[in-house]
Amino acid sequence: MEVTQDLSFVHLISHASVLVQLVMGLLLVVSLMSWWYIFLKMFAIRSEVRLTEEFEDAFWHNQNLNELYKYANSSSLRHQGALERIFAAGFTEFVKLKKQHGVDASAVMEGTRRAMRATYQREMDRLESHLAFLASVGSVSPYVGLFGTVWGIMNAFRGLANVGQATLAHVAPGIAEALVATAMGLFAAIPAVVAYNRYAYDINRLSTRFDSFTEEFSNVLQRQP
Amino acid sequence: MSATVYYEPYKLPAGILALAVHSMFFALLYFGFNWNRQASSPATMSVELWSSLPEEVVATPVNPKVEEVVPPPQEKIVEPDIVMPDKNKVASKPVETKPEKKKPVPRPVEGVKHKPDTQKIAEQNLNARIADQQAASIQAERIRQDEQAAANGRVVDEYKTKIHDKIKRNVSTIPDVANDARAEFLVTLLPGGAVLKAELKKSSGNAAYDDAVERAILKSDPLPLPPDVQLFNRFRELDLVFKPAE
Repeated sequence: MEVTQDLSFVHLISHASVLVQLVMGLLLVVSLMSWWYIFLKMFAIRSEVRLTEEFEDAFWHNQNLNELYKYANSSSLRHQGALERIFAAGFTEFVKLKKQHGVDASAVMEGTRRAMRATYQREMDRLESHLAFLASVGSVSPYVGLFGTVWGIMNAFRGLANVGQATLAHVAPGIAEALVATAMGLFAAIPAVVAYNRYAYDINRLSTRFDSFTEEFSNVLQRQP
Repeated sequence: MSATVYYEPYKLPAGILALAVHSMFFALLYFGFNWNRQASSPATMSVELWSSLPEEVVATPVNPKVEEVVPPPQEKIVEPDIVMPDKNKVASKPVETKPEKKKPVPRPVEGVKHKPDTQKIAEQNLNARIADQQAASIQAERIRQDEQAAANGRVVDEYKTKIHDKIKRNVSTIPDVANDARAEFLVTLLPGGAVLKAELKKSSGNAAYDDAVERAILKSDPLPLPPDVQLFNRFRELDLVFKPAE
């Protein structure tokens, strides 16, 4: 018959059943990780966009490929963008193939394209890493939270059955503590979904830029004597 | 180009930001709500009403007087000696007084001790008074209980009348009902005054009147109940009698 008067937040969590606590702990870890990846990807994509713009600028203003290659390789790994790496891989392959006599022009271009393609794919893989995690957090964590809530409410009603004179005050604490799980699930899911959509769009745009650069650079190389 | 170890410069700031977001979230949860509920409904509070002050007020001034009488014959160390057994006696049966009465008897034979006598008298005085007080307070307690029971009975009666009146107001007039008609209903209530069921125990002989009363009972939901929850047991099942003549 004892009706708890204290509904403080800490009290709610510490008095929840073990399974609800487990669910809340899991959601907390998932939410921390997803936010970490959100910020990590935010910084990474932002710097990638900046570096891509810088290198495109340099590429179109500087027609000397050797100087450009030096420029691309001189920057430390930290300041080397994906586009610079694609360019460097293509140019290295092109120079190597050119040095070998008896390789016809189309074969040289084929090899150069393949080298660029490989680097491009590796870069895309790097950019897209962790996005799958954000996507699954966005779709699964509301359900996990809901599971915790349903379990908590089940317990609350079972407790209600043991009490003769039922009032709302008997169920309310149980439901409130169960709903904390849903709140945490949504807190993890909403930013994850927003971030996933945003980053997928950003990465898509970057990939289009890399693609067009590869084509344009192939043309430039083809014109080389 | 071999596999490159990419430099990830943002791990630490991203981690710090993630922690910051979470602490903000929990701070919002913690401070954003008023987690403490307001004081609960007055239904759970029970108050005792006393018509007169308890006897204890009279009892306290008596003790110091006796203690003041006792100290002169002996040193102050004796004080607790006297007080302590008294308390025991108060708590237990009066049989213990006999052995103590016997003890002083040999004393006068041994020597000329006048002092123990006064002490004994004082002790007896004290015992008698304490016994009186106890009897008085027990009686007062009994009176108070009786009074409370009576008060409860009054409250119960008052609310039974209220319930009856409320239902009565809702009974629609039925034509051609004999004046001596008498419908008896057994009404089962829920805490809060909701009507669980109204059962016809004894028909008035006029089905229309029975129906009217039953409708009135259901219409009167919720019925008035005394604020003291402990009295609800006396309202759980109510025998109500309705007469059209009233």
